[in-house]
Amino acid sequence: MTNALHMTIGADPGEIARVSAAFAEFADAHALPASVRRSLQVALDELLKNTVAYGFKGRQVGSGEVTVEVERRADRVSVTITDDGKPFDPFATVAPDTTLSVEVRRIGGLGIHLVRQMMDEVGYERRGDRNVVVLTKYLGEEGA
Amino acid sequence: MNITTRTQGDVTIVAFAGSLDSNTSPQAQQALDGILAGGCRKMVIDFTALDYISSAGLRVLLGAAKRLKGAGGALRLFGLNETVREVFQISGFSTILAVFATEADALAGL
Repeated sequence: MTNALHMTIGADPGEIARVSAAFAEFADAHALPASVRRSLQVALDELLKNTVAYGFKGRQVGSGEVTVEVERRADRVSVTITDDGKPFDPFATVAPDTTLSVEVRRIGGLGIHLVRQMMDEVGYERRGDRNVVVLTKYLGEEGA
Repeated sequence: MNITTRTQGDVTIVAFAGSLDSNTSPQAQQALDGILAGGCRKMVIDFTALDYISSAGLRVLLGAAKRLKGAGGALRLFGLNETVREVFQISGFSTILAVFATEADALAGL
């Protein structure tokens, strides 16, 4: 059994569900703890949604290319998301005000805030004409 | 995802099963819009079978909460798993939405 999942999708919102399903299978096959799997599912949804919605704005739907790599190591799971959209560092954004009341709350920026808080490490790099985002989630005692 | 609804008195109880993310939130939005359009003022959402929620799902909940509050109604939630609770805490939703442990707690005094 391979320890890695590698898939390439078109920059199309409908493709995110395909990643989600493939990742769920991967998590099952590698017996990832439920909390680790769920946190990664949330992070994948947030980052892929952003990439597809903003990174490829102005381009034909499905014309971009997004690669998702998931690797399970002894003590952690690493996820690398690479896309050829316009340069964008998701982690350079300001955290939203999460103390506002229900009447005035907005959702903008919340997704990336969730990723930052739920992952153990996040990183961004512009490599040539590609954005590369790397996420790390440690398995802890539960998955070791 | 699967969405089932039932009513108890004047309360509509909506159960979400699966994930509430960018893929499924349009379906959830449509379901809640339909219930609200039908005149519902008291809504309880059962998260017992909800695996995880992302910001797209939070947006749907926030919209429903705003509409219910604006109409003098209420939205209550119960059955959140560890990850959903974590998302609520990080996003501040645990302070703006009424979260209960069990269905009986959520229905009490509504």
